[in-house]
Amino acid sequence: MSDTRDFVRRLPNDIGGLAADRIDRVEHALQPWEKRCHALADVLDYHKIISTEAKRRGVEALGSEVIGKLSYYERWIVAFANILFQQQILTPVDLARKMAEVGARWETHA
Amino acid sequence: MSGHDHDHNHPHAEVGGEGPPGYYDIMETAVRELLIERGLLSAAEIRRQIEVLDSRTPALGAKVVARAWVDPAFKARLLADGWAACGELGITSYDETAMIVLENTPQVHNLIVCTLCSCYPRPLLGLPPDWYKLKPYRARAVSEPRKVLAEFGTVIPDDVEIRVSDSTAFVRFLVLPQRPAGTEGLSEDELAALVTRDAMIGVVPATPIGGPVP
Repeated sequence: MSDTRDFVRRLPNDIGGLAADRIDRVEHALQPWEKRCHALADVLDYHKIISTEAKRRGVEALGSEVIGKLSYYERWIVAFANILFQQQILTPVDLARKMAEVGARWETHA
Repeated sequence: MSGHDHDHNHPHAEVGGEGPPGYYDIMETAVRELLIERGLLSAAEIRRQIEVLDSRTPALGAKVVARAWVDPAFKARLLADGWAACGELGITSYDETAMIVLENTPQVHNLIVCTLCSCYPRPLLGLPPDWYKLKPYRARAVSEPRKVLAEFGTVIPDDVEIRVSDSTAFVRFLVLPQRPAGTEGLSEDELAALVTRDAMIGVVPATPIGGPVP
């Protein structure tokens, strides 16, 4: 089915009413970083830096392929980074340098 | 302004402890620390919010439901203005979302979903289960709710209307399940113990006396 109308009628998050698999009642306790990511989201919302709706749109802007491959909180943190770049609060270089620093910190502590 | 915290707060190492942090774990730490260094938020705020998240469990929603079962005037206030009534029990929201409480009756069964993402009455129930955030539930709850409910073991008679409410970033819902039969002599705490998270999402009824039907 190559009818492009299906793509333009629905953005990636808009899945209500689509056919889907049986519900698998999966649950998992959040990993520590996932809980921190959630807390970060809430604090960003409190400060009106990234609202809940802006976060949702930021995830949607990742596109369906990335959305399909990343886990829930992986999508959130990537969306936050992109939004912060757009807002010119951070640059990609800032983030790359800090990520290298954080990774190196763990190696020296280990 | 570099108000950098010199407490060397590395929660990934303290809590996880096994193996190196992953790419996205590192990204979270990096984004958070950069924002703290720029003075846009503080480490204390993040810690406080983690405590808030840990303090919110379905027990809060169950307390609200049990009170509504025993106090018709409270129930009326709850249905009229969710957060105002929850405030009477000392339960407050931590965000700016509206709370609409949906009452199940012999004629109407309510179900909540967020088709676009994962909006959920977090201040009353804590964080949502994974299945609530995954495609099968989000996609199907609005179009074939009876089939979805049957997969949770909940069979709604055909003469009962099913209403599905789709949450948004601004409006959240909580289902007020029907009070199980034979619970007239129970205390409010005993009633609250019958109210599960899934009953307040609307995928199962409140637990009947004698435990859930297998």
